[in-house]
Amino acid sequence: MAHRSDFLRVRGVRTHIMQSGRGRPLLVLHPEFGADLWSPYHDQLASRFRVIAPDHPGFGKSERPEWLDEIDDLVFHYLDLLDLLEIERVSVVGTSLGGWIAAAFAVAHPERLDRLILAAPAGIKVDGIERYDVFANSIEETLQHLFCDETRVAQIVPAEYGPDVVVRAYREFTTLARLAWNPYLYDRKLQQRLPRVNAPTLIVWGQNDTFLPPEHGEALAALLPYGTLKVLPECGHLVPLEQSATFSRLVIDFLSA
Amino acid sequence: MLEFYYFHLMPWPHLPADFDRAYASSWVTLPNRFYDPKRGHRLYNEYLDELEEAEKLGFDGLGVNEHHQSAYGTMPSPNLMAAALARRTTRSKIAILGNAIALREHPLRVAEEIAMLDVLSGGRIISGFVRGIGCEYLSLGVNPTASRERFYEAHDLIVRSWTHEGPFCFEGKHYRVRYANIWPRPLQRPHPPIWLPSQGSPETIQFAVRHRYPFVTVFTSYAHTKRLLEEYKAEAERAGYRAPPEQLGLALPTYVAETDARARRESKDHFLWLFRRGLKIPPQFLVPPGYLSEESLLRFLAAELRPPSELSFEELEREGYILFGSPNTVRDRLTEIVKDLGIGLFIGGARIGDMPHEKARKSTALFAREVMPHFRPKRPVAAKAGPRENRKGSA
Repeated sequence: MAHRSDFLRVRGVRTHIMQSGRGRPLLVLHPEFGADLWSPYHDQLASRFRVIAPDHPGFGKSERPEWLDEIDDLVFHYLDLLDLLEIERVSVVGTSLGGWIAAAFAVAHPERLDRLILAAPAGIKVDGIERYDVFANSIEETLQHLFCDETRVAQIVPAEYGPDVVVRAYREFTTLARLAWNPYLYDRKLQQRLPRVNAPTLIVWGQNDTFLPPEHGEALAALLPYGTLKVLPECGHLVPLEQSATFSRLVIDFLSA
Repeated sequence: MLEFYYFHLMPWPHLPADFDRAYASSWVTLPNRFYDPKRGHRLYNEYLDELEEAEKLGFDGLGVNEHHQSAYGTMPSPNLMAAALARRTTRSKIAILGNAIALREHPLRVAEEIAMLDVLSGGRIISGFVRGIGCEYLSLGVNPTASRERFYEAHDLIVRSWTHEGPFCFEGKHYRVRYANIWPRPLQRPHPPIWLPSQGSPETIQFAVRHRYPFVTVFTSYAHTKRLLEEYKAEAERAGYRAPPEQLGLALPTYVAETDARARRESKDHFLWLFRRGLKIPPQFLVPPGYLSEESLLRFLAAELRPPSELSFEELEREGYILFGSPNTVRDRLTEIVKDLGIGLFIGGARIGDMPHEKARKSTALFAREVMPHFRPKRPVAAKAGPRENRKGSA
C-alpha cells in the first residue's frame, strides 16, 4: 500500500511524517532502530486505521532541536503534532523507545488518549533483571539482540554502508543517549505514575527478547490498572517487525473490541 | 628553547596472560580483580620516585594525568599525585594534563584543588583541562552528549573563580552555584597556566586559540600532529596573532638507549604494550554517542585512521607515534621535529607501558644528559633559584 511522506513544522521542528489509511487516527511511534521505515505492520494497520508514523526529532529525517534532552520533550512534541493535525483523541502504538514516549504521553495527557498499545516499551526498570546495554556494545552485537530470527535484521540494516549511514546512525544514537544514557532507558517518575493511566492498554512482548527481557512486561502489566500482557513465542525485541501479522491482528482486535 | 616535561601515565602493567584473546579492552570492562593493591603500592612509589628523579635530572616539568577505571593509567586523581610531588620537589613545574573537568560533578572542586596545589607548590602548577576520553563517560555514567557543553561551562566557572572576587553567582545549564568564593585562591596571577591536551577536534582547537592556551597533541601519528598544529597556527593567524612555540606542544613516547639497535630491542615490547593493550579500545568506548560532533565524526571517518592498537611496531615507528634510538638519533629527530612543527613544549614519557623501573630510569637519564642539553641556551647551567624560598617549614 502506498503511503504519503510529508515534512511538517511542529512548533518550529521540521518533522518527517509518513501516513496511510483512513478511519480513526493511530499514532505509531517507532523504536530506537528503524526510523523512516514503512514496514508491513504499518500497511496492515493502515488497512483499518489512519496511520500516522512520524520520525522522532533526531531520528530518520526529522531534525533534532537543541532543547531535546528528555522524554517529556517528545511528549510535548507529539501533543503539538496532534494539535497541528487537528486530532482531538488518538490511540497510540509505541515500540521500545516509542513505547516509552507513548506511556509518558498516557500519563500526562489522558484526555487526548483513546487506547494504548505498548510493544516491549522502554521506560521502566525491574530490579535484578539485566537489560542489554546498547551503548557499551558494538552495533554488530546489538543487531543480535533485536530479533529472535536473526535474518530479520535485514529489515533495519541499510544495504550499503557509507559515511552518511554511519553519521545517521551516530546522530540517532546521540539522540537516544540524550534521552536515555543515565538513567539507562528508564524514568523513575514514570514508574511511579503509571498506575494513573486509565486507558485500556495492550502490552505485547517477545518471549525471546534479550534486549528488554519479558519480566519488564509483567512488571508493567502489574503497574497498569487496565493493562493486559500478551507474550509472543519466537519473537525478539522488535515485536512489530518480527511478528508483523500477529502483532497487527492483536492491535486491530484490541482497538475494535 | 624547548621545555621538557617528564610525563607519567602510571599504567597497570600486570594484565592477565590471556588478555589479548579474552578481553575487549583495558578500559571500562576489564575486571578490577586484576588490580593488586600490594603490587600497586610498590608501583605508585616507583612511579613517584621516577618523577622526582626527573626533576633532579633537569626536566622543566613533571606531568601527571587523569584516567578512570583502566589499566592504561591508574591515576583517577592526578591532583593527589601532584600533591605528593609538590612536597617532594622544589623547582620543576607540575603539569596536570589534565583534570577531566567535564566528568566532574562540581568543577569548583577542581578550582579549589588547583588553588591548593598552586599555593602549596609555590606557584608551580600548570592546569591542563580535558574532556576525558569516551570510555570514561561509560565508566562514570556521565552523559557524553553533554560533554562539550559541560567542558566549556566548567572551564568558565573555574577560571572565573580564580580571577574574580567572590562570592559571585554562576548559573549555567549544567553547573549552578550561588556563592562561588573559593578559599584558597591560586598563587599565580591571573591564574595557573591552562593547557589543552587534545586529540584535536576543530572545536577544541578554536577554543584553545581564542584563549591562547597551549595545545598539546597526544600519542598520535606525526602526520596527524602536524595537521593539527598547522590548523592551530592557521586559526591563530585568523585570530590575528602568530602562535608562539610556547603554545605548541607534542606528547610523544620516547625511549633512549646506548645504540639504535639496543633502543629498538629494549623498547619494542613496551611500546606495543602501550598501543596494543593500553589503548585497546573498541569504537563504542572510544566515541560514545554525542562525544564527537557530526563535523568531527566526518573528519575522523575521512582521515581513515587505523586504530593505533592495530598497528605493527614498524608502522608505529614509520608513522611517528613513537620515538626511540641512540641519544644522537633522538636528538637529531627531535631537532627536525622542533624545526618542522615549531613546538616549544615536549612531553616525553619515559616509562612506557609495562617497562621495568630500571630500564625507564636508564632511558630517562640518557635523555636528560645527552639529548636535553642540546636544546638549552648555550650558557653554563647555574642552579636556578626556585620557589623554595616561598615555602615555609620545608626540611
